[in-house]
Amino acid sequence: MPVWQVVLLVNLTLAVGLGLGYADWGRRADRLYQELEATRARVEQLERERAACTTGARAGEQQWEARGIVRAIFPRADLLVITHEEIRGFLPPRTTSFRASPKLRHAVRVGDAIRFSLRGAFRDATIVAIERW
Amino acid sequence: MRLFLLAASWVHLASSVLLTGAFFMLLLAGNPSERPTARRWERTIAVYSRRVLLVALGSGIACLLARTAVFEGRLEAALEPRAVWRALLDTRPGLIWLARHGLLVVLGAFLLLPADVRETRNWIAARVEPLVLGMLALALVSGSSHAAGVAPRTVLAVAVDVAHLLGSGIWIGGLVPLALLLRAASREAGADSRLYAERAVLRFSGAALATMIVLITSGSMNAFVQVGSVAGLAGTAYGHLLLAKLSVLVPVLVLAAVNRVRLLPALSRPTTTVGCPAMRSLAAFVGLEAILALVLLALVAAMTLTTPARHEQPVWPLPFRFSLDAALEGPATRWRALLGSQLVLLGTVAAIASLFVRRRRAPVLAGALVLIAVGAGGGLAPFVVDAYPTTYRRPPVTYHAASIAPGMLVYHEHCATCHGATGAGDGPSMQGRRPPADLRSPPVSRRHAGEIFWLVTHGIPERGMPGFENRLGDAERWDVINFIRALGAAGDAGRLGRVVEPERPWLVAPDFAVSVGPLAPGALRDYRGRRIVLLVFYTLPGSRPRMTQLARSYDLLWIMGVEVIAVPTDASSEAIRELGSSPPALFPVVTDGALDIVRAYRMFAPGPHAELLIDRQGYIRAIWKGDTEAMPEATVLLGQVEQLNEERNVAPFPDDHIH
Ligand code: HEC
Repeated sequence: MPVWQVVLLVNLTLAVGLGLGYADWGRRADRLYQELEATRARVEQLERERAACTTGARAGEQQWEARGIVRAIFPRADLLVITHEEIRGFLPPRTTSFRASPKLRHAVRVGDAIRFSLRGAFRDATIVAIERW
Repeated sequence: MRLFLLAASWVHLASSVLLTGAFFMLLLAGNPSERPTARRWERTIAVYSRRVLLVALGSGIACLLARTAVFEGRLEAALEPRAVWRALLDTRPGLIWLARHGLLVVLGAFLLLPADVRETRNWIAARVEPLVLGMLALALVSGSSHAAGVAPRTVLAVAVDVAHLLGSGIWIGGLVPLALLLRAASREAGADSRLYAERAVLRFSGAALATMIVLITSGSMNAFVQVGSVAGLAGTAYGHLLLAKLSVLVPVLVLAAVNRVRLLPALSRPTTTVGCPAMRSLAAFVGLEAILALVLLALVAAMTLTTPARHEQPVWPLPFRFSLDAALEGPATRWRALLGSQLVLLGTVAAIASLFVRRRRAPVLAGALVLIAVGAGGGLAPFVVDAYPTTYRRPPVTYHAASIAPGMLVYHEHCATCHGATGAGDGPSMQGRRPPADLRSPPVSRRHAGEIFWLVTHGIPERGMPGFENRLGDAERWDVINFIRALGAAGDAGRLGRVVEPERPWLVAPDFAVSVGPLAPGALRDYRGRRIVLLVFYTLPGSRPRMTQLARSYDLLWIMGVEVIAVPTDASSEAIRELGSSPPALFPVVTDGALDIVRAYRMFAPGPHAELLIDRQGYIRAIWKGDTEAMPEATVLLGQVEQLNEERNVAPFPDDHIH
């Protein structure tokens, strides 16, 4: 076999080997990473739904636990404004207003550090429990 | 073990380089066709490259074993298959090793193939393939080099490193085969291939010039990234290795220049002797160049095993350094510097001129040298300032309220009696003695932080400044230095007005932690590049009307890109409750660690109520101080914010550390 053909063959083998290697392992690894992330998010959501269930929520509702400081109370609008830490799977750390029942609202004062539970569907969560921190 | 690793790395690097260059040289020289000496040379190189390949593989394995031992921290690990396996498969350098040696093995198999290269097509293919494989293997080296550790712009750094490696492969690796060819052709029996050799050396000379330019450019880029400063060059092991490399490079370059300018033209002169002496001496010089280049590679191998200067604290080796600021200080020194530089310029012109005149060259040259010496001696003196081993040490603590505030306490306890409460040098125990220099202004403020660190650590015994090495810990000394810098900045802060000066940021806002109650804290610097910060120091009840006003305009401020951060001057942990909720103040109120912030910022803005406008880059741009009467109306404040929002030339983020 002439040398130039051998060279062609060697380079083709190298290139094809590299390509196949990526097509098989590389792509599979990428996909596995993505699946892992998705599964993790799903597990967290299920955990929150289970937490919601054990305290008597309707199906499809999730529950988040968070810590924060009460900044303002609006009695007529049923709102509590809370500066909170990151709420995993829901909100970054910031100041947000949440709906809360009058009973819960009366239990806290501005400036209190609290742990609170949010329950509901996404974007429509209500505070269902508050305890002092 | 490290020495063994170094030796193995060197041999491996050198053989990889030689391998690549050998095939490059073969290609460059061209097909020898019917010239027996050149044919013989080609066969020699084929054998030589096979041996070099074996050496490369052997030293590669030695490298792997040595690295395993160093990695595991045990000598025996080098012989444990499992440890080696782990180093190979679980580390990035290991995987790269695998890829590289895979390529080398393919290359070896290819070289063992009996090849019929009478056809040109085949001849080229048989040279190009090993060259490509060798270059790939060489280029992969940079995947586990210091360049791969550069972030950001890793890709650029690796690309530059690859260019450097390939350039050195072509140039250094080409020298040995070239020397062999020249020697063979210079002999009496080699006359048949002299033209061939001459053509080869001319082509190589052109190629080497091009690679040399690539090498120097990529090398300087590498050095800039990995060393980055004169201090890194003069004060770290990596920098010293680089200097050594340069000092070997200079004779190599001189040699190359001599070869090109003197010996190359001599080749084509017709000779009467049977051998070719010009070619023989060229062969010797090229061989010498190759040997020096191999020494260079040893230094390179040592550099790859040394922490780059950018990760090291440099130790400045000289008792002085040059400072431009120092020379531009007063009119007298400025004149001196100007005069000196002009003398040097004149001297240089005269020296160059002396090279062109034939008669009286010596006296002209001597005069020129005297001019240069006098100019440098007189003109450089104002640039010279004292320096210490720690001059270029980077402070381990950032310019942060949590460092400045403790530094203030240290200062008042240990330094104020002499240097005075404000740093002016008017402390009580200096009464009747020569007062120390003002710590807030030049020359002290011009000193590097590392220099002040040295002075505070060791003192200046002959001038009455005690050393604090045994009385203060490292961190405390750095804290007090941060405080001194804040003192200077606070002095300058007086120049900052109640309105933003457009496009002129210069006063760095010390960083601080923003902790609202027990929540995970943020920091002032988290707002960089994102929000303008209005930092409010308030005292109740006096500040109540102003806080109400701010609470009401917070929505608007937020929309304009402003975050308000309120800090109670009494550092009360009940601050949020005390502010009350009618109207609700929804901006962050620091309830934790407020004392440090208040202490540090009081230097800039004293009084029961003060507000500072900090731009998106982290510079203080306007200060309102005094009491609430002096605070800007909402419309005025928004006007200032708008001014900042309209700025086009953004300053770079300030360094987190003082200098
Ligand atoms: C016993 C009095 C005394 C005390 C205490 C003292 N210093 Fe000094 N310091 C001096 C004197 C005197 C000099 C002046 C040397 C000179 O001017 O040449 C000086 C010089 C300095 C300098 C160098 C100024 C220059 O030339 O650049 C610095 C920095 C400094 N002091 C910092 C401190 C710090 C920080 C402390 C506290 C930890 C401190 N000093 C405590 C007396 C004192």
